[in-house]
Amino acid sequence: MVIPTLLVMAVVVGYPIVYTLLLSVQDYNLLDFSPAENIGLENYARLFNDPIFWTSLYNTFIYSFGSVAISATLGLILALLCENLHGQHFRLTRSLLLMPWAVPFVVVAFLFRYMYMQNGGVINALLLGMGVISEPVPWLNSATLAMPAVMAANIWAMTPFFFLLLSAALSAIPNEVIEAARVDRARTWSMVAHIKLPFLRNPLLISSLLMLISTFNDFAKIWAMTQGGPGYSTSTLVIYVYRLAFETFEFGYASALGVIWLLLLLVFAVAYLRALRMG
Amino acid sequence: MDVLDRSRLRAIGAASVLAVLAGSAVAQDKITVTFANWASAEGTTRPGIEQAIADFEAANPNIDIVSESISFSEIARQLVLRARSGNPPDVAQISGNDTILLAQTGALEPLDGYLSEDLKANIKPGALSTLMVGDQLIAFPWNQSPAGLWYNKNILEQAGLDPDSPPHTIEELTAALETIHEQMPDVIPLGIDTTNRAFALTSNWPWMQTFGAIPVGEGATGGDSEEMKAYLTWLRDLANKGLIDPGRKIGEFRPLAAQDLVAFHWDQVLLQGVIQATNGMSDEDFYDAWGVTTLPVGAEGAPHSFEGGHQLIMFGNSPNKEAAWSFIEYLSTNPTAIDVYTVGVNSSLPSIVSTGDAQVDAKLDTPIFNAFSEEIIPTLSTQPYGADYAAAATAIMAGVQEAVTGDRPIDEIAASIQQQLQ
Repeated sequence: MVIPTLLVMAVVVGYPIVYTLLLSVQDYNLLDFSPAENIGLENYARLFNDPIFWTSLYNTFIYSFGSVAISATLGLILALLCENLHGQHFRLTRSLLLMPWAVPFVVVAFLFRYMYMQNGGVINALLLGMGVISEPVPWLNSATLAMPAVMAANIWAMTPFFFLLLSAALSAIPNEVIEAARVDRARTWSMVAHIKLPFLRNPLLISSLLMLISTFNDFAKIWAMTQGGPGYSTSTLVIYVYRLAFETFEFGYASALGVIWLLLLLVFAVAYLRALRMG
Repeated sequence: MDVLDRSRLRAIGAASVLAVLAGSAVAQDKITVTFANWASAEGTTRPGIEQAIADFEAANPNIDIVSESISFSEIARQLVLRARSGNPPDVAQISGNDTILLAQTGALEPLDGYLSEDLKANIKPGALSTLMVGDQLIAFPWNQSPAGLWYNKNILEQAGLDPDSPPHTIEELTAALETIHEQMPDVIPLGIDTTNRAFALTSNWPWMQTFGAIPVGEGATGGDSEEMKAYLTWLRDLANKGLIDPGRKIGEFRPLAAQDLVAFHWDQVLLQGVIQATNGMSDEDFYDAWGVTTLPVGAEGAPHSFEGGHQLIMFGNSPNKEAAWSFIEYLSTNPTAIDVYTVGVNSSLPSIVSTGDAQVDAKLDTPIFNAFSEEIIPTLSTQPYGADYAAAATAIMAGVQEAVTGDRPIDEIAASIQQQLQ
């Protein structure tokens, strides 16, 4: 019974990984129709001396950890705030809060891109109207502001996931525990810190790791909003791999970067599996 | 079921089989030419290219053209991947660096042998030379679409500038931009593409040359030369003063230009068609409102431009090369095709001297086309296209973006560009 599964896994997962590993030690450019040359670990050596790789790696960590940390916190706050809502109010609030999760990533990206526009963007128009700013802010066209701006779009899209998951986890806390705390006259903050958060620890950890893996691979939002720019200020590993593979067609070098990326994802995956086991 | 019904059914069955056989025989006689292009992917040009294809098919009933719409920014990627996997189209529309990039794969059919002497004699001077790789012609010039400095006369007039005397030096241009920004803060004073892609480098190249900078290729001054730093400094100054709108693609300025929200715009001859398609302006109104001139000169003293025209390529493993060539020749040289597509919707210049049709030639006698033909085309300069250019484009344009959007010292940005170019 296991053999068919293993065969499918070997074709669907194993082959691309092995082929990527093989490509990563070759000088393989799609524009060059002559046979690829084996160059050992040269691509990896080049990678470690490539400042764009390090910038992209740094950006990937900022984007992934930053987005997940803020979304998880917001999701938690919203779940706690909505915990005591019932009936129609809860259904309405939950539907509204979940809406961003249903919007396709590319639509999110374009939505925010148009909202952020320096000339005619609704965010600048609002801030100008309220007198918060005196001139339009170049949200996506500033090397300093572009990353936070892209992260904000990602957080908007991701927070509902945490809200949904943590709301479910909150409702699963045994009533006896809550009642016992109430009998002990635990205050709201004390109840959250000592009763609810410990119960939410595992769901929070597992959902954060899942979202970390997902954000690590996020291409659509960043590409549609900034294409990794201005300069390299929002270039993440996935954006850099895309540019190398499909703009300069350096498949060998792009594969070496892909292998490093895969190893990093493996670390998260192992952490996720361990968290699941602990949970 | 009676006997009559059965014999009727047999007759219908036999007739159907015959019809299918006859149909397949006709289908077998027909040649299919696949044509990958972005003309059918864009609203402005789609009706024109569909009409041109229909006209060609009517004139060549044994050839079927299958048009494959691919966006401009995707076409090179898709063609390289398709060439690599052995299933490219027969013919494709291509432009700029992508043409040479594809030629480097060796997958293109050299076209020298297909050109008659008459056709060669009718092609505009210099139109073929930029498409030669080694001693082979690797693409046919479909149309010419050089870039010029467009200016909105109404905006200039409202800002108190002389609409009939556009700036001729970088200093004059900078002063004009400042005046426009002061007088009309809602207008983008200068539309220039600062995105990170190979086309943006092509578009920025003449500006860099104006400052004496040639970042890569023959006679390169490098990415960290004083000339390059001067260009980056000038651009940063424009951005800091709000005289340019960084991050927009050239095409994203066009609808704004159609709404009188861009004063000067560095764009190709096809801008006229886009503006008129967007706001429905008549030719006369357009010539009253818009003018075009050469790029202002810098210390180096000469104006520059780039050729953004489109080419047609044929892939070497096309099974229908003769049919593919007749389609290429039709689109590029047939007066009707030039009328409905090249001039009609693409607002560009044909690559041939005479179309052979007085009416079509008369349509090319406009103030805009004449300015391009007489003033701007002589300022065209070639760029070092190829795989290295694509890689350099990412490094250079990332530097340009850093200059216009950040506060990192220009010296550091230039050094970083140079490091990546090496």
